[in-house]
Amino acid sequence: MGDRENFDVDRDRDRVNYSTSMASDWRFGVGNVANSMVDSYVTNFWDHSNSQNLGFCDINIQNNGGSSNMNVVGKDGFSYGRGGHDHRTLEMGWNHASSLLKGDNNAFLPNGPAMLPQSLSQFPGDSGFIERAARLSCFGAGSGDMVSSFGIPQSMNLYARIGETMQGTGDALLGHGLRSGALGGQSHKSDPNLVEAAKDDDKEMSLQDDKRSENLAVSHEEGKQALGGSANESDRAESSGQDDSPMLESTSGEPSNKGLSSKKRKRIGQDADKDKANGSPEQSGADAKENSGSRQQKEEGKPTPSTKGSGKNAKQGSQASDPPKEEYIHVRARRGQATNSHSLAERVRREKISERMKFLQDLVPGCSKVTGKAVMLDEIINYVQSLQRQVEFLSMKLATVNPRMDFNIEGLLAKEILQQRAGTCSAHGFPPELSMAFPPLHPPRPGLVPSALPSMANSSDILRRTLQPNLAYLNGGFKDPNQLPEVWDDELHNVVQMTFPTPAPPSCQDLDGSGSGSVPSGQTKTEP
Amino acid sequence: MRNQEGSSVKEEFLRKWIRGLRRYSCEKKNMSFLERKKAIKLSADLAMASTRDKTIRWSQALIANAASENVCIGSSSAPKKSSRKKKMMLMRRSRARVKSVKKEMSSARCIAKRLMEKRTRKLKNLLPGGESMEDGCLVEETLDYIQSLRDQIEVMRSLLTASQLIINPS
Repeated sequence: MGDRENFDVDRDRDRVNYSTSMASDWRFGVGNVANSMVDSYVTNFWDHSNSQNLGFCDINIQNNGGSSNMNVVGKDGFSYGRGGHDHRTLEMGWNHASSLLKGDNNAFLPNGPAMLPQSLSQFPGDSGFIERAARLSCFGAGSGDMVSSFGIPQSMNLYARIGETMQGTGDALLGHGLRSGALGGQSHKSDPNLVEAAKDDDKEMSLQDDKRSENLAVSHEEGKQALGGSANESDRAESSGQDDSPMLESTSGEPSNKGLSSKKRKRIGQDADKDKANGSPEQSGADAKENSGSRQQKEEGKPTPSTKGSGKNAKQGSQASDPPKEEYIHVRARRGQATNSHSLAERVRREKISERMKFLQDLVPGCSKVTGKAVMLDEIINYVQSLQRQVEFLSMKLATVNPRMDFNIEGLLAKEILQQRAGTCSAHGFPPELSMAFPPLHPPRPGLVPSALPSMANSSDILRRTLQPNLAYLNGGFKDPNQLPEVWDDELHNVVQMTFPTPAPPSCQDLDGSGSGSVPSGQTKTEP
Repeated sequence: MRNQEGSSVKEEFLRKWIRGLRRYSCEKKNMSFLERKKAIKLSADLAMASTRDKTIRWSQALIANAASENVCIGSSSAPKKSSRKKKMMLMRRSRARVKSVKKEMSSARCIAKRLMEKRTRKLKNLLPGGESMEDGCLVEETLDYIQSLRDQIEVMRSLLTASQLIINPS
């Protein structure tokens, strides 16, 4: 986190440096630096403009570890470019400085200077302030492998905190920077002191800015990488820097002349935006999206999580995102929800589905307590499977029960059932209870049984005989039994006209042909 | 939805079923047990399907399937050509609406989605002609199918009981 803050500060500083002056004073600084690293740093930082410091930092970067330097430089240049600054001076500074500082092999230098340019660019133009910050950065820059007398590792964090504090409150930062700068300026030997002092100050300040640093963390990953300092990290920083560059551009499109406060405000606002953008992709599960990408998305479309959520929420991917259907339903977007046509249609679809699921809940037994589509679907699947199995089983049973009976007989029996059922006038709506046991046929029809058995032999006769009572019962013996098909059709018609009540025990009939069978208790007969 | 017409639907189903059975009986006198069972079931299914509107997909698909598969028992029921055409039209219409599923990275939401996809796929397999249905349509058809199945089962069970009682009066 400290690294990120450092980076941020550096960036601000860089901008300011560029804007303020590109005097050639940096050359002087370069010359001084040649004497001793520390001295040159200190003096240069104190005496020269921000760009000088920049140059120094760059020089240091260059001199220390060619590849890493280059990486850092490249990265810095990159960030600079993004920031909209002319980084030519920076490069120049680097070029010059490299010739001067050759003995420095500290690894920390790249880190510090790397941080510095970026932060510097973003800070408003208080040259002294920036000098101090730069110095601090140089002091504090560097990863753990720094062996320099600066006591780098701590100072790096220090710098980070300082950057943080700078972000937070300008005045406080100023004072802080002054303090640390003064300390540094007085004696470079007092690095530990400086470090400690800065540390203490930082601790005070850091509390305020922790949150902001978190906000900045994402956007300033680059700086963090830079602060890491190693060659590996620089590579990483490069890539992340590229990621961040569009972000930087988007966030810091303003001229560097603006004051720190305004920049801060914009940055904070944008960071908040970024945070939200970061949050929403996480919500919607867009893991692959980079920060910049997600941010841009967020900036494009007001909608926010609901859009992404709706996009991802479809039960079956993009199957759902149909354009509005044939019937045009005017849907109003609810507050805080996406107004995208796709998401609207999807929302309508989803509501439709949930409505149907409610129906299913009523239909499928044992689903009333279940919430959630997945479990409900499971239950529905089980139920449909069981129903299908029941059909199969029943058909099998029917096949076994009447293995020798003609289908006609079965049909006739069914007819009879219908006729019996017609006896009850009440019409029961759906769903009739499946579990309701079919009331056993009351007094069985002995007459029918013997007649049924020999049906194989002489189906027509049997049919006639079996039908006769029914016919007589139903129609008062109107039809000629021989005209079976016609009767059959007529019966069917009758059946259709009848209501289809719940199973009722059929009346008992005997072969005598008595028109009226015994009425089961409680049942009344109605005419067709 | 179908509450009011429950009884009439069952009547219609039974009527059609009987008609189908009659047709089978006309065609073949002696059938094996399995054949009988198949015939019974098929005629029941077809009857059930025919009670539904043409707009209901699963019923049309069921009929089309039965016709195209040339199910069992030498049934020369509905002219196969028309059924096949119906089936093609049905499939074509539904296929046009199917969208491809996007690929996504793994996350909680994606996992949930995958679970849902698994289940909907299962449901689609259960439902006749359900493979080419979308979400909303699928739920509707499932609803209808469940109702029809229940009707069918009830009628069949009552017929079974009746016939059982006739055979075994004790």
